[in-house]
Amino acid sequence: MKFPILSLGRRYPIWAAVLLLYAVTALVSPAMLSPGQILNIVRVTAFLGMVATGQTIVLLTGGIDLSVAGIVTLTNILSTGMMLGANENIAVAVLACVAAATVVGLANGVLVAYFRIAPIIATLAMNSILFGVALVSTGGAPHGAAAPAFNTIAQGDILGFPASGVCWLGVSVAVAIVMKNTIFGRWIYAVGANARAAALMGVPVRIVVVAAYALSALLAMCGGLLVTAYIGNPSLGIGNPFMMTSVVAVVVGGTALSGGVGSVVTTIAGALFITELNSFTNIAQVSTGAQFVIQGVLIAASVVVYRLLGRQSRT
Amino acid sequence: MKTFEDSSRRQVLKLGAGLVGGLLLGSAAARAEIGSDWVVPATDEMAKAINKPGKLRIGFSNGFSGNTWRTECLEQMKIEAAANADRYQLIVVDGQGDITKQVNDIDDLIAQKVDAILVIANSGTAVVPALRKAERAGIITVPFNLPVDGDHWTAYLGTDPRQKGMILGEKLNDMLGGKGKIVGFDGLPGNSYSAGVWEGAKPKLGPGIEMLALKDADWEEDKAKVIMADLLAAYPQIDGIYSDGAQMAVGALRAMKAAGRAMVPVTGDDYNGLLKFYHAEKANNPNLKMSLVSEPSWEGIVALRAAIKLLSGENTPKRQTIKPTRIDGDNYLKYMKPDLPDGVFVDTTLTDEQLKKLFS
Repeated sequence: MKFPILSLGRRYPIWAAVLLLYAVTALVSPAMLSPGQILNIVRVTAFLGMVATGQTIVLLTGGIDLSVAGIVTLTNILSTGMMLGANENIAVAVLACVAAATVVGLANGVLVAYFRIAPIIATLAMNSILFGVALVSTGGAPHGAAAPAFNTIAQGDILGFPASGVCWLGVSVAVAIVMKNTIFGRWIYAVGANARAAALMGVPVRIVVVAAYALSALLAMCGGLLVTAYIGNPSLGIGNPFMMTSVVAVVVGGTALSGGVGSVVTTIAGALFITELNSFTNIAQVSTGAQFVIQGVLIAASVVVYRLLGRQSRT
Repeated sequence: MKTFEDSSRRQVLKLGAGLVGGLLLGSAAARAEIGSDWVVPATDEMAKAINKPGKLRIGFSNGFSGNTWRTECLEQMKIEAAANADRYQLIVVDGQGDITKQVNDIDDLIAQKVDAILVIANSGTAVVPALRKAERAGIITVPFNLPVDGDHWTAYLGTDPRQKGMILGEKLNDMLGGKGKIVGFDGLPGNSYSAGVWEGAKPKLGPGIEMLALKDADWEEDKAKVIMADLLAAYPQIDGIYSDGAQMAVGALRAMKAAGRAMVPVTGDDYNGLLKFYHAEKANNPNLKMSLVSEPSWEGIVALRAAIKLLSGENTPKRQTIKPTRIDGDNYLKYMKPDLPDGVFVDTTLTDEQLKKLFS
């Protein structure tokens, strides 16, 4: 006899973990079962989920993108500074963010693919540059605000479902389909699994890597726009939490840091898991210190679990 | 990057802070000039002055510069220095939130043989040896805003978190009529400022007040909003919000608004965003009240003046307490800056024109 949760756990451990954590949270606080709170978690997960989707693409190539924090901050500063609270400025502000993110992503990719700088260093340096630009351009005193119509993408609903969640899931599923069903997607996996072998097979490795970083920057920008719409104000510290949590969400979702193994769909679950965990610790009177410990233990544990499962499936 | 930014903009006060400036000067500039009674000696101990004629060089080791409070503080110091350019020159170094870099910065200032060093410390422990070295070199040292361990510095001035907490606790208790369920928000995990404020506030909350959850929200509006959304789901009844920074109070209120819950009394500081929010929402939310204690961003001016006095042969108190401003629903219009961004801290000597220029 098979227990469905066990088989789910074996095949998609992160989805089982999401359900399990949800059950535990509901035991501590039955209010978590309310539809309103479920939708609230989806609304808030969208910010991290969007950034983590981009991070997944880069991790699949065997890289890492630590500049997402700087991109979120810069997007926040740039969009609020250009919108100035007026709806007619939304289009130009968003276009400016798209342009900035594209430049940053291409630069990251070129540094990694053509100048052969280790991704962790290249993107960390980029993160520092972006934060510095945000600081210098604002003089430490950011002005402006998001436009009311723009704020509805994070604060509003579409047919009763959080608009931010619709954006995130729509984009994530689209990226997942691209990764699974297109040549470009297969190239990403091939580069991550073995770049040299991929090159020998005719994969344009450098271009694929550049594209991966560009996509990551654009998706981080989307996450930055969502979190900006959620709060409506500029804040120089807004991007900071994303540097680590975006990587954690991807890794907990089962994508290997070494590249080539994983999927965008499990990152959806990974992002949900991290947000649920935060929500749980908010409600369960857990201190911030304990929250860090729990997060660290879960990262380590998830890697061990995936390794064990991987071994099992081979034998 | 962020670790010290917010902990260092935190600061606070003294019981019975007056509204002298606001009353005298009307609404446009609540504090055009710093009143003599806004800074009071904390102890009888005096710092010994030296007499240095001629042009002076004053170093300022700013631990971090990435938030609006620090930006306003630094701007006011620059204006003060420009007005006294014949007496001294101000040299600013930025620790970028890094404990080690700040120690190096101070060492550099000592090597340059400046006459005085002002410090907002990233770590009250780490800068001790550097300040002792400055002391041995005959340099006047004035840490301010955040306390530094020991007493190997010439003079210190800052506000008192515990006293701020006492006021906030008492006021929150009053606004709630001594009973109700509240949630609370602290700044960065483990920072001594939030701990001090809460230490002062806790005993002032009556037995009828139940703290459901006290969470760290890093003095970030978005973080407080996310946490509050969770707390709203978990607790059907929340009657009040304790917070040591008004960004978190307004973030939490925005979550209440989004959830369609009636808004409740809050505490905080002089963050313009909360004043604007209160102004917009109070008509529809009779139970929305606020009691705030400011974080004067003009502290840097006081520190500069203390250093100059000490270099001009005038003894000053070794420890001085800065008095903050109390803002509530009755007087907030005097402080609110409707045309300026939410991020402005309103207890400042900067005029609206200067703030507009700074925030552009």
